[in-house]
Formats: sequence, structure tokens, C-alpha cells
Amino acid sequence: MLQAVMLIVAQTIVLLAVSPFIVGLIRKVKARLQCRRGASAFQPYADLAKLFRKQPVVSDTTSWIFTATPYILFASTLAAGLLVPVFVSQTPLNFAGNIIALVYLLALGTFFLILAGLDAGSAFGGMGSSREAIVASLTEPAMILSIFAIALTAGSTNLSTIVHKTALLEGIVTDPSPHLMAFAALFIVALAETGRVPVDNPATHLELTMIHEAMVLEYSGRYLALVEWAAGLKLLVFLTLIVNIFAPWGIATSLAPGALGLGLAVYLVKVSGLAVVIGVIESMFAKLRLFRVTDLLGVAFILALLALVFFYVLRG
Amino acid sequence: MSLLSQQFGSQMVNLGSALLLLTCFAIVAQRRLSACVDLFALQSVLLAATAALVAFLTGIHHIYIAAALTVVIKAVLIPRILKQVVERLNVTRELVMNVNVPASLLICGGLVMLAFFITQPIIPLGFLLTRDSLAIALAIILIGFFTMIARKKAVTQVIGFLVMENGLFLGATSAAYGMPLIVEIGVFFDVLVGALIIGIYTHRLQDAFDSVDTTKLTTLKE
Amino acid sequence: MAWPLLLLVAAPIVAGLGSLLAGRRRAVEVLQCGLAGAMLASAALVAERVIAAGSVSVEGFLQVDALSAWFDLIIGVVGSTGTLYAVGYMGEKMDRAHLSLRRYCQFFCLFDLYLAAMLLAVNLENIAIMWIAIEGSTLSAALLIGFDRSKEALEAGWKYIILSSVGIALALFGTILVYYSSEHVLGVSSEALRWSELYRVAQGLDPAVIKLAFIFALIGYGTKAGVAPMHTWLPDAHAEAPTPVSAMLSANMLTLAVYAILRFKAVTDKTVGPEFAGNLIIGLALLSIAVSSAFFLVQRDYKRLFAYSSIEHIGIALLGFGIGGLGVFAGAWHLMNHALAKSTAFYGAGLVFLRHNHKSLERVTGLLDQMPLAGTTILLAGVALAGLPPFGLFSSEVLIAAGAYTAKPEVAYAFLALLAFAFATLLYQILRMALGTPGEAGTALGRQCRIFTGAAVGINLVMLGAIGLQVPPGLETLLASIVTIFSAGMEAPR
Repeated sequence: MLQAVMLIVAQTIVLLAVSPFIVGLIRKVKARLQCRRGASAFQPYADLAKLFRKQPVVSDTTSWIFTATPYILFASTLAAGLLVPVFVSQTPLNFAGNIIALVYLLALGTFFLILAGLDAGSAFGGMGSSREAIVASLTEPAMILSIFAIALTAGSTNLSTIVHKTALLEGIVTDPSPHLMAFAALFIVALAETGRVPVDNPATHLELTMIHEAMVLEYSGRYLALVEWAAGLKLLVFLTLIVNIFAPWGIATSLAPGALGLGLAVYLVKVSGLAVVIGVIESMFAKLRLFRVTDLLGVAFILALLALVFFYVLRG
Repeated sequence: MSLLSQQFGSQMVNLGSALLLLTCFAIVAQRRLSACVDLFALQSVLLAATAALVAFLTGIHHIYIAAALTVVIKAVLIPRILKQVVERLNVTRELVMNVNVPASLLICGGLVMLAFFITQPIIPLGFLLTRDSLAIALAIILIGFFTMIARKKAVTQVIGFLVMENGLFLGATSAAYGMPLIVEIGVFFDVLVGALIIGIYTHRLQDAFDSVDTTKLTTLKE
Repeated sequence: MAWPLLLLVAAPIVAGLGSLLAGRRRAVEVLQCGLAGAMLASAALVAERVIAAGSVSVEGFLQVDALSAWFDLIIGVVGSTGTLYAVGYMGEKMDRAHLSLRRYCQFFCLFDLYLAAMLLAVNLENIAIMWIAIEGSTLSAALLIGFDRSKEALEAGWKYIILSSVGIALALFGTILVYYSSEHVLGVSSEALRWSELYRVAQGLDPAVIKLAFIFALIGYGTKAGVAPMHTWLPDAHAEAPTPVSAMLSANMLTLAVYAILRFKAVTDKTVGPEFAGNLIIGLALLSIAVSSAFFLVQRDYKRLFAYSSIEHIGIALLGFGIGGLGVFAGAWHLMNHALAKSTAFYGAGLVFLRHNHKSLERVTGLLDQMPLAGTTILLAGVALAGLPPFGLFSSEVLIAAGAYTAKPEVAYAFLALLAFAFATLLYQILRMALGTPGEAGTALGRQCRIFTGAAVGINLVMLGAIGLQVPPGLETLLASIVTIFSAGMEAPR
């Protein structure tokens, strides 16, 4: 019991502490690739601290949803993060849910953010909300299918079991093709869900193209800090999911201190590596026009579907 | 060959076939004509690599020759011909299609399942090493077929046909460890001549209709 | 002694390459006339030897049994009259300066290679190499159909090459599947692709694979045979190709595709019993007859009219093969008579086209008065194609209907109803063309053209009439052996 509580606390701290760094790291990579020095990778911490000190401004026309959303978003994303094995293959909230719960916790946050975007009644908020709704409805099936493909190969929908089995190479002698396709699908989903290029550009405030930024345009002060932090958390949750499902090797499979330390170090290296990859991708590709986003997400969905089909077929 | 390496080899062949299928989807999703040609060349290289892998694992040497021919003809010669055709055209991308991209992708996903469904009863008859690829080969053939229907430009229709041919070659390699060499060479010769003739036709269509949009071919009807 | 066989296959190749290099019109004409004679004689000799000895073969490469000999005869005879006709037709075009000498030579090179590919395909004993030869005929035909380089010809050629390529690719997949199954019995070698070997071991092949292979082969080669619903290329190609090519497409290439289907059917029958392949073929055949007869009435183009008639007759022949037994006899007989009659009809249509330079059905009337040769040709061929006695198509259609009645009465009713409709509509159009008062004057044909085309038409009509009343004894032996190829499966169905 005590162990479980300790684990919850430890994982919460790691997630909260690492997520601003990942956001900063991607910005740094992009800056270097554009031959700029760029802000330090730790800049987001300072930004968050400053935002927390500032007084928020809330429009008179908004309802309770507007003020509640940052808390709901932050809490649901963090809860989702606790369902994912981070540096140890047991998850703290193992008993509470599996990958399906994970998907719906993330969807809950998105749902409230969409409502909040509409709530303020500004034109941009509504536009961002409608776009986010399109993207979310297209990513969800691809995400569920790709995770199911992995779940099938491991024989469990419990993330902890999936990661544990894969890390120990237990009973999983399958073809690499379903994994490869599910990985590609989940990666595209991650880019879309976390509002990265080529679906959305987190660095822009150009009215015509923004999605996520348009929804949170009305937020300020500590609300904005929570929303931004939650966005960073979501990104980290996806990266964690990807690295630990597809390459869990090095993760701590027991609670021995040495294994935990190694697991944490390996985890940081892997997540940072993936963040660098995302930074490179953002520098290489232009944002897609909104009509073309459906093409990209269609590809992700098909990849996930193929991963499922291949799992059944290639067993023979 | 030990059981483990047999299984590993089979997985690698499956992986190669799966990548081939992925390039098919990329071709379906790609609008730029020259990128489609590049993707076709990439697919041919992957096909040659898969065939060479089968040759290595089985020790059947004539598949190496077929793989080499694939590289020379399908990865170098035919893409070069197609590039020349594309350069002459007054369009670089396909903006309007008979079936739009997301729907095409979904239909192709359905075709893959159909191919698996069709080949399910006959898969157990095959060689352990490659038998799963037969389903993928049929899927590639069907997707190539679909591309020919879904696209309007003559060039993409040709690519659809060539994708079908790639599927056939994968089928022959995986189902039967390659046809006899004389047959393979004959088939390659036919494909090359076919691509040349279709290339000639595309040139003449461009000259006569000032377009390679096959929906403009509407003079002949009842 | 297989030299007639080698001559049959080699003569068109030699003549074709010779024509390309000749560079003089007179030399090309001599070469082509020689080719026509050589094909006629060698096809007859091959058939004679097969009748006497049962089979002729060149070890490891060519293998002629009764079925191959039958198609050798069809392609050889019609190919030789087609060559004569082409000399007259293309010569007339050249006289009118529609054609340069270089293009004239190119045409004959392609034309002969096309014939060579078809003659090769029916004599090969390896099903995969047969596929290569059939693909070769597809490619050369594609260039021939677009030969005029008009917009219409290019469109027809494009449709043809795209649809046929798809079809032929599916057929190759069917061939691969047969190999997939047979190499378990015969080992990984060319043996596993030989007809004779496949027939021998057919009962040991996997039924599921063979069924699937047959479906692919039927769709694939069926596309090339112009079977509905894969027939859409056919009217366009037949209408826009130069007329000698139209005649060869209809009389030879469709027949060749039927040959390929039959080879697959023979294996399938032995493996899974005749019902499976037979029912599939009957379904497609009835659909073809229905589709084509529906289009007779609305035609405004006389070459398209004959093209749809080809769809109908290939459907009728396939129906015979699908029914089996007596139907096989009648189907093979129907194919030969159709090849002769349809090529004759196209020869006549080509003469009309040369005179009027348009293909409009409405504007062509009174041919018997205006062009006695073309008018008689079209009238006689049309009467034959409509299925009236004394031509062989009458007897084969009656036999097929009788066979259908004993095997599947409902098929016979549908067949007879469709046939009656097709008969009335086709005959109406033919009579309208032949009778009445002539319309426009047009350009008269040159003397050389009349001699060559007249010879081609004459040979065809004489043969059509000679075999119309009764099946000659030699051919009857051939037909009987063909029937046994397909009946072997009926004795021991699995």
C-alpha cells in the first residue's frame, strides 16, 4: 500500500517535472535547426512560474466551464499519465483502468477544452474548437485501433502487462510488421493530438491556421499556466506511451532501487530522443492545410487497421 | 536450418511484404505525379530486397537473377521512362480524383481484408517461409487495380498497372519460390515493352488531347 | 516430323521482320502473300498430322493436341485471308496517300508479329509462356488499334491496353496459383506448368486453389475475350482499329482468349468436377449474349454493330463449352464458323469504309446496288451471323440449345429467347444496309484493292459455305478428340 502511494507520488513528480523540459527541448531543437541560439530548454519552467504569479482575466460572458476547464484538463491528463508505465513497468493506478480508460481520460480533457473555447464566445475560440473536434474525432479511432493491435500481440489491454511482457520478451514471438504499423499510426496520432506540425503549429498565432492556440486564446494567468502545463503533459504522455510500448527495454521491471534509477535514466534519454525527432520533423515539414489533415489521419487509421489485420493473418 | 532462424526468416519476409504494402498505400495517398513514380521505384527496390531474402533463405539461385532484373527494369528503367513522360506534361499533381484520398485509403484497407479473406483457405498449402506473403501479394494486386480505377491521369493509371505487376512478382516469389527463370524473363520483357507502349500512348494522348486526363476520353460511347 | 508446326509459328515472324526491312511496297506484298499461303498450308498440315497421329510436338516447347490444332486452323485460315485483305486495304490507303511507305512497312511488321504471338500462344505447352505470348499479342494489338493516331483511335487504344493489361495481370495471378498448387505434386520445375502434366495430375491438385485460379483466369482471359461485363473496350477497339485489324481482333484474338479459358477449364474440370467452371461460364455467357443483343438496335456505327455481334457469338460458344458434352462439340464448331463469318463481315465493312470514309449506319443503304462485292459479302456474312441455314452457325446454335435443354432447361429457354431477339435486331440492321436505294456516291476503290480483298472474301465465303452443311470427316475427328479432353473430368468428378 505504502509502496503504491510512493509510486503514485514519484510518477506524478516525474511527469510534472519533465513535461516543461520536453516542450523546451523541442523548441531548442527547432531553434538550432533554424540557426538560432534559442531560449534555454528550461525556459518553460520560468514561463509557467511567471504565469502562475500573474492575475488572470476572465471575460464576463463566460460560464463556470471556462474557469473549471483548466483544472479538469490538468487533472484528467495527469490521471491519464498515471495509467501509463513511465520508468517502472507497474503503473500506480493499475487497478483503476487500462488503455481504454487512458483514451477516454485524454478525450475528457479535449472535450472540456473544446467547450471552453466556445464558452468565451469569441470567433477564434469557436473556430479552434470546431477544428479540434474534427481532428479529435479522426484521431480517436486510429489511436484505439493501434493500441488494440499492440494489446492483441501482448494478450492484454492492461498497459502495465503489455510493457512488462515486451520488456522481458515474454511469450511475444510475433512478426514485427504489426508493431511497425501501429507505431507509425500512433506517432501520427500523437502529432495530431498534441497539436504539432504538420497538423497544427504550436508556435503560431496566425488566426487562419491555429487550432489549439485558438481555443486557449482567452486564457491568462494561472489558468493559462495550467492549460499550457497540461498540453506539455499530454505530449509527454504520448511520448511515454510510444517509447514504452514499442521499446520498453531498460524500464525497471522490479522495485529494486538500482533498477528504478536505471529505468528513470533510460526513460529520460528515450523521451528526450523522441522529442528531438519531433523537433526535426517540425523543422522539415510545413503545416498541412486543414483539408489535407484528413488525408494524413486517414493514413494513420489505415495503418492501425492494417496492424490489426496483420496480427491475425501473419500468425499462421 | 533451425526452427528459430526459419521463423525469423519468415518474419523478415513478412516484414518486407508489409513494407511493400505500405508503399502501395503511400502511392494511393500521394497526389504529386513525380512522387508517385519515386514511390513506385522504392517499392520495386523493396520487392527486389524481399525476393533476394527469399533466395538467400531458400538457396534457390535463380530468384537472385529475378531480383536483379527487378532493380534494373522496375527501379531504374521504367521510373526513368515515366519521369520523362511526367516532365512533358502540363500537370504535376492530381487535384481531382474519382475517389478522394481518405475514401481511397479506406477502400484499400477493405481490399486488404478481402485479399486475406480470399487467400485464407489456401494459405496453409504454401511453404512455411513465405506463405503469408501470398495474401499481401493479392492485396497489392487489388490495390493496383483500384488505383487504375480511382485516378484520372494516365500516368497514375500506369503506375497502378505496374503496382499490380509488382504484386504478381511478389505472389510468384512467395507462393511458388519464383516461376521458372525463362518465365520470369519473359514476364519482365513483357512488362518493359508494355510500359514503353503505354509511355508512347501517353505522349500521343498529350499531343492529341493536350492533356493526360483520361476523363477527357469521351468521344466513344453508345 | 514437326516442320509444319515450326513453319506455322516462324513464318509470321520472318515475314514481319522482312516487311519492316524490305522498304519497298512490292517486296512487302510478295512477302505477305507468301505468308498467307504458308500459314494456310502449314495450319492444314498440322491439323492433318494431329488427326492422323493424335498430337505433334517439338520437345519441351510446343505441343499440339486436338484443341491446339483446332485453334491453329482457325487462326491460320483467318489469319491468311486477313493478311491478303490487309495487303489490299492498306495498299488502297497508300494509293490515296493516307499512309507513308514507312508506316506501311511498320503496319505489316506489327500485324505479322501479332499473328505470330497468337499462333505461338495456342501451340505452347507451358501455361506461363502461353501467358507471355498472349500478353505479346495484347501489346502488338494495342499499337495496331491506335495505328491511325486519330483522337478516337488513341482513345480506343488506351482503353484497350489499360483494360487488357489489368485482365492479363489477373490471368497471370491465376497461372501463379496453378503453379502454387501443382509444384507440390510435380516439384519446383517447369514440369509443373505443362498442360499435359497438369492434366495427368489434376485430380491430386488442391481444389480450393484451383477454384480460385480458375476464377482469376476466367476474369483475366475473359476480359480479353470481351466477355460481359468486361467487354467495354471491345466495341471501341473494333470500331477504331484499321479494318484488317478489327477482323483479326474479332476472329482470332477473342478466339485465342477462349482457348486460354478452355485450357484452365480442362484442368479445373478434372480437379473439382465440371459443375463449378461450367456454371461460372454459363452465367457470363448468358450475360454477354444479353448485353450484346440489347445494343444491336441502338447502334449508329456498322463496325460497332459487328463488334457487339462478336460479344454475342463468343458468349454463345462459351455457353456451349459451359454446358459440356455435346455443347463442347458445338462450341468449338461455333468458334470456327464465327471466325470465318465475322472476318468476312469486317472485310465487307472495311470496303464500305474505304468507299464512304465514315462508319455511320444510317447513311449506308443500298449496298447491293452500289457495291456488289461488299454488299453481297455483308449480306451473306450477316445472314450467317444471324444464325440462318445453310451456314454452320445455325447448326452449332441448334446443338447448343439442344445440349442446354438436356442439361439445364432454364438456360435453354433464356438462350433461345435472347437468340431470337439478337436474330431479329441484327438481321434488321444488315438488311437495311444491303437493300434499299444507295445514298452517297463515295470514292470508288482501286483495282488492286478489289483483287486482294475479293480473294480474301472469296476464300472465306467458300470455306464458310463448304463447312456449313456438314462437318467434314477430318474436322469431326478433331472435334471428337476435343470433346474427350473435357469429358474425362465428367467420368470421375470429385
